[in-house]
Amino acid sequence: MPADHRLTDLRPGVSTDVLTCTALTVGYHDAPVLTGLDLAVGSGEVVALLGPSGSGKSTLLHAVAGFLPLHAGEIRLAGRTVATGGGGLPPEARDIGMVFQNFALWPHLSVVDTVAYPRRRRGVPARRARTEAMEVLARLDIAHLADRRPAQLSGGEQQRVGLARALAREAALYLFDEPTAHLDTHLRAAFQLEVTSRQRASGAAALYATHDAAEALGLADRVAVVGDGRLVQLGTPAEVYARPVSLWSARLTGPASVLSAVVTPGSDGTAGLRIGESQILRTAVGMAGSRGPAGAPQRVLLRPDWTSAGGPLSGRLAAVTFRGPHTDHLVEVGEDRVLVRRPGPPQHGVGDDFAWSIDRAWVLPL
Amino acid sequence: MVAAGLVLLLLVVLVVVPLVRLVQVVAEGGWTGIGSTLQAPGVGRSIVNTLVLSIVVTMVAVPLGAAMTLALRRSDLPARGALRLGVLLPLLVPQFVLGYSWTQAYGRGGFTDDLLGVSWPLVLGPIGVAVVLVVNAVPVVALLVAAGLSTRAEPDLERAARVAGATSWTALRTITLPLLRPSLAAAAVLTFVVTLESFAIPQVMGAASGFTTITTRIYRNLAQGSDPRSFVEAVTLALLLVVLAAAVVGPADAVLGPRLRTERAAQPPGAPVITARTTASRALAGVIAGYLALTVVVPSLSLLAAAVTRGIGLPPTPDNWTLSYLREALTGPTWTALSHSLQLAAVGASVLVLLGALVAALERGRRGRLLGAAVTLTLVLPGTTLAVGLLIAYGEWLGGTLSIILLAYLAKLWAFAHRPIAGALDRLPPAETQAARASGAGLLTAIRTVVTRPLAPALIGAWLLVFVTALHEITMSSLLYGPRSVTLAVVVLNNQELGQVGSTAAISVLLTLLLLVPAVPLLMIIRRLQRARSEPAVDGRRVSEVAGAG
Repeated sequence: MPADHRLTDLRPGVSTDVLTCTALTVGYHDAPVLTGLDLAVGSGEVVALLGPSGSGKSTLLHAVAGFLPLHAGEIRLAGRTVATGGGGLPPEARDIGMVFQNFALWPHLSVVDTVAYPRRRRGVPARRARTEAMEVLARLDIAHLADRRPAQLSGGEQQRVGLARALAREAALYLFDEPTAHLDTHLRAAFQLEVTSRQRASGAAALYATHDAAEALGLADRVAVVGDGRLVQLGTPAEVYARPVSLWSARLTGPASVLSAVVTPGSDGTAGLRIGESQILRTAVGMAGSRGPAGAPQRVLLRPDWTSAGGPLSGRLAAVTFRGPHTDHLVEVGEDRVLVRRPGPPQHGVGDDFAWSIDRAWVLPL
Repeated sequence: MVAAGLVLLLLVVLVVVPLVRLVQVVAEGGWTGIGSTLQAPGVGRSIVNTLVLSIVVTMVAVPLGAAMTLALRRSDLPARGALRLGVLLPLLVPQFVLGYSWTQAYGRGGFTDDLLGVSWPLVLGPIGVAVVLVVNAVPVVALLVAAGLSTRAEPDLERAARVAGATSWTALRTITLPLLRPSLAAAAVLTFVVTLESFAIPQVMGAASGFTTITTRIYRNLAQGSDPRSFVEAVTLALLLVVLAAAVVGPADAVLGPRLRTERAAQPPGAPVITARTTASRALAGVIAGYLALTVVVPSLSLLAAAVTRGIGLPPTPDNWTLSYLREALTGPTWTALSHSLQLAAVGASVLVLLGALVAALERGRRGRLLGAAVTLTLVLPGTTLAVGLLIAYGEWLGGTLSIILLAYLAKLWAFAHRPIAGALDRLPPAETQAARASGAGLLTAIRTVVTRPLAPALIGAWLLVFVTALHEITMSSLLYGPRSVTLAVVVLNNQELGQVGSTAAISVLLTLLLLVPAVPLLMIIRRLQRARSEPAVDGRRVSEVAGAG
């Protein structure tokens, strides 16, 4: 896979960046998990780390937090070097807060004592620490849980307490290690809203690891796609969604259909697409620099919101699935299948001919 | 149910009747009898010695074992894996051999004396006894603390504390240690009770210097005393021993029992909290390695040296080496004793695995839970007390036979078989049995096809545990043996009492290495079974390749 950062907006490192990772190689004793990673998080910015399980998101967060030494490279927090290949500051000396996937609440401490813990470590006496903790709990609407133990809390409540504990640290950078992975689906949206509003209110920066594309696109100012041991793409959510650098990256960042078409570029951003023998269409087509030989079919990415029902193209329906707000139609196009969404209940059956059209497309780089 | 009735009957025969007969004999003398027995010269001293020893050993072994386990599991030490295994080594060595090897290593005329001219005369005496009992107890503490760490105090909890601003010491003090309190308390209770009933180490290292404990005094009364008064004294002391054990365990179990029931399934050991090899962690690894060298390696080498050296006092150089002691150990009367030991251990292990599995299965039901608790209680029954009780109850018919020794093993070691099997049954996901039933299997077929295979490692492990413990057992065998039912452990004890260093050392080596005979093939079987059960995980990178890397 080409690491084509020219495709995306890589901000040059600024000295006021809250986090700067330079040429980072991290891993455990035997093998590195991520190599040569460059990443910066600016003040007040939320950067999402999007990648499948095992891609090194947690490893990177652990390295930034100080639980893992670096094989090579450098980590700077607010311009101050906190870790190099030779060693680094311990976690308690770094200005960070962290929210864990498994909540990591202390079973023997009540909720208010848990949230007061970071204040106590800063030297605040017990009673004042508890008062300040109650304020944080009130901001998150969980003050009524103050005297409970983690065992008496639901998953969603536990994760809120975890967030409150991190906020009590009043750090400049917050690390989120897939915090909604163990929450029920309907709780995830609520938690994400909470994180966004807290982050805006405090103006702190955040590095948010997740394998859920919708979560990453919704929360982040920029998305860092990681996989195969390195940073694959870095850009705004709109960029990684609409202009992914590879098929793998496209599949990770949202629902993706791919078809083969011969692309004849025209002027003003449009191009001609010849699909199969007969179907020809002129539409807005984006493409990166490198292209294949002219006249040969290329792989073209279609997102469900880039296609619509009705139009010059037609194909046989392989599947029709009612999803509630819309119906998914899987159209056979030669050997490929394309997903077309249409609001409302289904009006076709499997095997019917279906008319559809392409509003825009993206040619996947080689 | 027939099965529950059988278990109840066995418990009565093996444990209840001996204890009741014990009480009867003591009660015959009445309170005045008890009083005069306890006031006999030396008795009070042995009781005080036992209690002080138990308290001191507990207060040293528990912090030491806990500190070592925390260092080996939470810090990133070099050679963690090897050191963790090393800490558990004393579990494989019979208590007698551990004590004896220390006398050969550090006593006058021993290994260090020959090589360096330096010896530790106090090794034969209360201090030596205490030190070796600590070395003996540390592995058990380590196991309990390790279990507590993986079920109660996962690494993420400590990481959350570090990232909230706590130094590693503060995180230990405020988070890990409070969460480990139930495990530490359980380790303390267990160490106290095990020290209370320990026999071999005080006998080997203390008796010669006049240091007696309750157990060694009972041994002296029964093995060497022939008058009725010695007998009554032995029986009274045996009852006292079980009363002391119950007095400690009873309240402890009431307080700790509910807290020790695990709330979560154990996680795998997990990475250390911070993966970083610092000079401090390297030094720590060195300290632990040094501890293992002094407490296990040097004594083992000394024992080997003593087993092959021609005579006492000769330096263990190659020109003084001889294989005669080792050869003797494998012939003649020793061979008979060896075969007795192997028979008892094999029969005992096989029977107890069945009984242990039976109780583990019965525990699923309401009434069976009481039986399970009763069996677990036998863990705290002092071996000496059990042996004396069995002598009184069945000595007329079974005295001097292998059968009475077998009964003693069955009673004392039942819990050793039951606990691992019960634990494995607990961890068996019920969904697998349900899936078998939903696929059309009847209950028995489902159990046979789905339960026995995953349970096999636990069954084999339980067999091995009982086998090794029975093989090494000396406390009860030394009181119950007769001229035609001598076990290897008894032979070793007799040789040691006669001062025959070479043969004692040789048979000790034999006794220790004997466990390798069944252990090696059985452990290989367990490993093969476990490897077949777990599939290799698919990691994210391979998934990306499969998904069609662009």
